[in-house]
Amino acid sequence: MSGDTVRTIRFALNGRAVAPTVSTNLVAADLLRDQESMKGLKIGCDQAVCGACTILVDGSPTAACATFSFMLDGTDVRTIEGLSDQGALHPVQQAFRNNSAFQCGYCTPGMIMLAVALLERHPNPSRAEIIEWMSANICRCTGYKMIIEAVEAAAQAVGELS
Amino acid sequence: MSVATPLRVIGSAAPRTDADAKITGAARYTVDIDLPRMLHARTLRSPHPHARLTSVNASRARQYPGVHAVVTRNHLEGLNPTYGYFIKDQPIVAIDKVRYIGDPVAAVAAETERAAVEALALIDVKYEVLPTVGTIAEAMDKQAPDLFESEPMGIVPAYGQGASAEKFPAKNNFYQFRYRTGDAATFAEADHVFEDEFHFSRLQHYHLEPFVAVAAWDHDSLEVWSSCQNPFPLRKELARVFNHPEQNIRVHVPLIGAGYGAKNNCKAEPIAVLLARLSGRPVRHCMTHEENFLTQSQHAAILRLKTGVKADGTFVARQSHILLDSGAYSDASPLVAEKAGYRIPGPYRWRHIDTVCDCIMTNTTPAGPFRGFGGTQTSWASESQIDMIARRLDINPYDIRKQNFLALGEPFVPGESGMDSDLHVGLDIVAEEIGYHKSNRAEGRGIGLAVGFKDSGGVNKPATVQVKATTTGGLIINCGTTEIGQGVTTAFTRIVAEIFNCPVERVRYAPIDTDITPFDQGTNASSALVVMGQALEIASRECLDQVMVFASEQLDCPVADLVLDDWVIKRGDEIHPLQLLIMGYYGGTGFEFVGRGFFKPSTDHRAPLESQCVSWEIGWGAAEVEVDPETGRVDLLKLVVSGDAGRAIHPDVCRGQDEGAAVMAIGQSLFEGMRYRGAVLENIRAVDYRVPLARDLPIQFTSITQEQGHGPGPFGSKGMGEAGILPVASAIANAIEDACGARITSLPITPEKVLSALDNLKGPDET
Ligand code: FES
Ligand code: FES
Repeated sequence: MSGDTVRTIRFALNGRAVAPTVSTNLVAADLLRDQESMKGLKIGCDQAVCGACTILVDGSPTAACATFSFMLDGTDVRTIEGLSDQGALHPVQQAFRNNSAFQCGYCTPGMIMLAVALLERHPNPSRAEIIEWMSANICRCTGYKMIIEAVEAAAQAVGELS
Repeated sequence: MSVATPLRVIGSAAPRTDADAKITGAARYTVDIDLPRMLHARTLRSPHPHARLTSVNASRARQYPGVHAVVTRNHLEGLNPTYGYFIKDQPIVAIDKVRYIGDPVAAVAAETERAAVEALALIDVKYEVLPTVGTIAEAMDKQAPDLFESEPMGIVPAYGQGASAEKFPAKNNFYQFRYRTGDAATFAEADHVFEDEFHFSRLQHYHLEPFVAVAAWDHDSLEVWSSCQNPFPLRKELARVFNHPEQNIRVHVPLIGAGYGAKNNCKAEPIAVLLARLSGRPVRHCMTHEENFLTQSQHAAILRLKTGVKADGTFVARQSHILLDSGAYSDASPLVAEKAGYRIPGPYRWRHIDTVCDCIMTNTTPAGPFRGFGGTQTSWASESQIDMIARRLDINPYDIRKQNFLALGEPFVPGESGMDSDLHVGLDIVAEEIGYHKSNRAEGRGIGLAVGFKDSGGVNKPATVQVKATTTGGLIINCGTTEIGQGVTTAFTRIVAEIFNCPVERVRYAPIDTDITPFDQGTNASSALVVMGQALEIASRECLDQVMVFASEQLDCPVADLVLDDWVIKRGDEIHPLQLLIMGYYGGTGFEFVGRGFFKPSTDHRAPLESQCVSWEIGWGAAEVEVDPETGRVDLLKLVVSGDAGRAIHPDVCRGQDEGAAVMAIGQSLFEGMRYRGAVLENIRAVDYRVPLARDLPIQFTSITQEQGHGPGPFGSKGMGEAGILPVASAIANAIEDACGARITSLPITPEKVLSALDNLKGPDET
């Protein structure tokens, strides 16, 4: 515990300004879960492999378990809790719901955030692009096919909205 | 009495009941439990696969800032410090020896995980390193070191007709299960006898939520939150280990971030409980990714089959010897041995079966329950050998299966229940979907079929459940079946809604709390629908009966004149809201109707496992592959799996079970597995252990949910969560032989194995 320096960082968390005080070695996943109560963020491997902890930092899918908190300074951070806080579900959430694209649900917040990032970049991805992109995260339950179909459905819904 | 319009909610495509919680991040798991003053536990694990513990000194760790308790072997006094299923051999922390790399030696509870990790480094352990056994063969060698110098306490349960078992039957052997029916002389009637050996690999379950538990003592009361599949057996085991009255132990099980079998019985709990007792504070014990790998795995296995058949392909007799790599502690190995030994004949008609299954100890991670539970191992070997035999006899592998299948309703073996799926129907579905009967195969391509097989529902699983109906027509299920992703809350709320003829939104699945929830043996063995489901149906109907009798008394007419529809009683054109009837009779406080249900198959000595199997779980599979003869690379072009849901309560849930299980099996077939070098697990790190990703799916991947309607569960349903993993590996191996003539008998099927099998085919002159 010795030698940790402490500093205050400022970032937008799901659209709200926060200014937590963090030690230099505090990882973002712990900051967000323990100090900011974003328990929807899940930690699986804790080694930047499974993607359960995926958050969006300035729109980029990021493994919160492998990101130091101070790196969030000045960024725009989104977690699963921020997707539907106006009450209405995000089209990706809606599609995961309608397609039952989850089982235990432990990978689901990360999968949904990953898919949101994809559709923000490529509103109209091909199936092959979806498969490649969604291969960043692990789901041990579903066998992926229903997740892929949900992302396709979400892409279609986003397309119809715009 | 006419109650429900048939199938109001069952089979509907509406979202799962847990959808909203899981897509918004609101779902809460054991990892999310956060209590005031909660400490964090970390475990010191053995760096040696086998060693005697000469000293453990934790005094410096105890002084470390933030540390509140340290557990070593010196803190086990007054406890029964070892646990296990049939054999109580696994200590909370090592006592005399460590038996695998990762065996817990000490544990620390501290203010933060980091302080706990730092304190572990201050624990001084001295070991006397011993020779190790890393493989089944090494363990069975006469010169091999003994893992246990004296036999741990254990039991052998009663078996019925033809089955028997023995604990510690031989050196480094936990348990041997045997099953025999018919006469060995029957082999003489076979025109051919084939002997083949198969090797099965070892997966880690790779549940994303780690093993995790939180324990808190309040005077004499122990409260535990656990990501566990069987809260009541866990309570019983904790009561025994800690010498603590069962009524003063309360186990909560929130949503579970999957388990695939791993989360049965003690895992993270004993250390959390002990540290909480020593520190007087709540303790959270959440394992790391590596610790999951050091806590539980699937069973690697060697399977030797000797199979006698007639020249026309009729099966006659099968002898088998299965060796399970059980790792360093018995865990569920004896139970897996029972099932592997029992399931090896597959869904076929034999006149003689003789099977032996041994649980061999090695200095590796303890192996335990894994989706398929021995049936994955046996389906791999059996369905591979059946194809090999067909080809040797020049019979179509499809035909040889059809010729020998057990018929619908035909007992598996003498004294056993009958098949509750028509095997022919499923095989025809997958054969059709993959184009099996099309004659022209492209060069280098092949198609393989397989029929995975296991019994389902488990043995000795008494299930109780309570269904309550409130004044306003709210329905509450109190049931110990855990939501582990399989969709039990969706299925059970639908079943109750269907029986009460109301929308599913009226039904709530109560959180699991062993103080309140009725007893259940555990969420395993695909038992939710076929065992607990039967209890649920009884409870629901009993509760409904009370409601209808009450209404008939209030309206002064026979029950048969009344129809219940969304908590309104209809009599012809009259409408009587139940709420008003209840308030009228019971007064303003209202009332609750309570139904209880119990189900357990009765004991039956004629049945080999002492009661007939409740149900049979069949996984039909078909694979098409392309083999590159230059590189040995196998491309899985198409995979078809099909399970029989009996009746699909929620079609997406059934589909998800089949597909998820099949994709696990794709990994096992082609690349995934724990790689041991001696007793050292080489690919323990997350970056090194490869599980299937979305990009590993075959381009064409189809699952077909059958609804044959013969299941013993509500509305003809049956379990299907394990079926999809069973047929895939053998279907792929069979497709490879179809494509290029090479037969692979060990998993995973790597390009090197395919190349060497191809080389062997060419013979000495051509290579
Ligand atoms: S928990 Fe962060 S990637 Fe696995
Ligand atoms: S739903 Fe369980 S890991 Fe994806």
